[in-house]
Amino acid sequence: MLPVSDFRVVKKEQNYNFIGRIRVRVLVVLTVLVVGLFFTQLVFANSLATDGQKLSKIQSEILSLQAQNMTLKVQIAEASSFQTLSKKATELGFVKPEKLIVLK
Amino acid sequence: MDRVKVFQITIYIVAAIIIARLFYWQFMANVTSSSNAFAKESKIPASRGEIYASDGFPLVTNQEAFLLYGQPNDLNSDSKTVAQKLAPFLISEKYSTSSANLGEEEQKQKDEEIKNKEESLTQKLSDKKLFWVQLARKIPVGTRAKIDDLSIKGLDFERDTKRFYPEASMAAQLLGFVGSDKFGDDTGYFGLEGYYDSKLRGQDGRLGEEKDPLGFPILVGKYRSIAPKEGNSLYLTIDRTIQYIVEKRLSEDVKKYGAKDGSVIISDPKTGNILAMATYPNYNPALFSEFTESDFKNPAVSDAYEPGSTFKVVTMSAALDLSLVDPNTRCDVCNGPRQIGDYQIETWNNKYHPNSTMTEVIQHSDNIGMTFVADKLGLDRFYDYINKFGFGSKTGIDLQGEIPGLVRTKDQWRPIDLATASFGQGIAVTPIQMVQAVQAIAGGGKLISPKIVDKIVENGKEIKVQPQSQKQVITQKTAALMTEMMVNAVAKGEAQAFAPKGYSIAGKTGTAQIPVAGHYDPTKTIASFVGFAPADNPRFVMLVRFTEPTSSVFGSETAAPTFFAIAKDIFNYLAVSPNAN
Repeated sequence: MLPVSDFRVVKKEQNYNFIGRIRVRVLVVLTVLVVGLFFTQLVFANSLATDGQKLSKIQSEILSLQAQNMTLKVQIAEASSFQTLSKKATELGFVKPEKLIVLK
Repeated sequence: MDRVKVFQITIYIVAAIIIARLFYWQFMANVTSSSNAFAKESKIPASRGEIYASDGFPLVTNQEAFLLYGQPNDLNSDSKTVAQKLAPFLISEKYSTSSANLGEEEQKQKDEEIKNKEESLTQKLSDKKLFWVQLARKIPVGTRAKIDDLSIKGLDFERDTKRFYPEASMAAQLLGFVGSDKFGDDTGYFGLEGYYDSKLRGQDGRLGEEKDPLGFPILVGKYRSIAPKEGNSLYLTIDRTIQYIVEKRLSEDVKKYGAKDGSVIISDPKTGNILAMATYPNYNPALFSEFTESDFKNPAVSDAYEPGSTFKVVTMSAALDLSLVDPNTRCDVCNGPRQIGDYQIETWNNKYHPNSTMTEVIQHSDNIGMTFVADKLGLDRFYDYINKFGFGSKTGIDLQGEIPGLVRTKDQWRPIDLATASFGQGIAVTPIQMVQAVQAIAGGGKLISPKIVDKIVENGKEIKVQPQSQKQVITQKTAALMTEMMVNAVAKGEAQAFAPKGYSIAGKTGTAQIPVAGHYDPTKTIASFVGFAPADNPRFVMLVRFTEPTSSVFGSETAAPTFFAIAKDIFNYLAVSPNAN
């Protein structure tokens, strides 16, 4: 049978180990968390850099399509203007009717 | 090696890869960006509103254009060589035809302009202190492609837009043009571009965002955006077909009659809508910088002239409205020239028609007969009707540069002024005022202010433009009587040979001498014809005016034939048959 004083000492050592283990675990968890967040940050930043470029490309495409739209509209207007039609009609030999007959 | 070390090495390798990749994106990746690097706030330009004819065809639209800039420190050859290569592409577009089609004089001008451009470009590109220098604005897509083919390093473009006119110079004075203000922003000048500038220009947007060193937007950065507000579009009352008919005929006839210029206005008397408004010579709004300010003015609203005999319809309407005369009232002073104070009034052809009726006075365009009417009216009543018909004040038409004409205050009128004003001399009106007044006769006595814009489209929402005012200035009966007298003037007057057969047209010729240095020069006239058709149900009112025609000074031999030729084409276009009235 152990003396009372010995029992107390054993009790104290067990207490100390328990707190120490908790502290170590907290430190490990925090370290893992910090390292994890650090890498998440790196991955996220990397992804953002790529997305920024994609966004820029999309904006360029929008501008390019708008420009094409504008050009097509201009081409349609130019091709169907009276100036063009009149020139083409003359080239094709169309003439202004000399006499109109009104049907009653 | 224990597991911890393996784990550590793995972490270091992964971290190194990610950092290397970030470094690559940040500093090494050679990706072009349309955005300005480092810019925190950029302007999103609003596209300017378009202008459409009544058939929905764009008379003015926008096309892609570019601003060309140089970075003097990045040029791959010396500034003089670059300038020599660029200059031929950056001179006026009027020289864009191939050299073979240019005359000797034009070729000389082109060479001179290229030389000047070379000098100016060399000067700009030689300044190595400049990071960025603007070389040209509003250059077309085709020119950009040619400059790209030169592969000059240190040149770049910024996207822009410029006005495009599918019908070239059609309705140029009416439309106006777009130039730059002192800040370099697009601004409308003259015509509709000037009058509706604030509506057409829209509002530029703003884009505030954080960007990386390459100018790419950062997704998690602060981002605020104000969307641009596109300019409103205008839908005009102008009928493109009628405008085309008018412009073609006008340009031919100005040359045929040797006139300095000519203008035609056509309106719908029921609504006051302007169907066509043309001036010749005109200008190309796309090359406005090649013309002078006098070319931009729209004579239809900015030019005051003495209307001559066309004004007789106003004087006669006033007297008919007050029942001072009727169509059968006989003129008892028409047997010869008339002396008023120190002045002698004569008829235009020195022929006199004693005891003629008022209908005949208009038919013969008799100045003496009109002094008879003016005597009946007296100054107060005549002055009152001049104002009622809208002379001396602006019509309110939605065009920049309208003037009110010139009607002197009543206290400045002498007896001779009353007499001469009765046949349209000594009073200055604008063509649009004359059209407005005759519209009232054609429209049953109702004076409607003319308008050009039918509706304004703002973000898909249509806003109908109403005429500024409508008021009854003469009775319907007066309008009908005056119409009959004008129909008779066409059927039996000097210009009857030119009138298309089978149509009832009401009209009046005018030949006004132009005052030169205090007296009238009989060889310089303004020849005009104003009228409407069909007389019983008017579809249009038209004024034709020539300045200083040389083949004949008379309106009956110049403006009247043009009026009838245009009217004939309009009858066909509107499907008005000869026996429909």
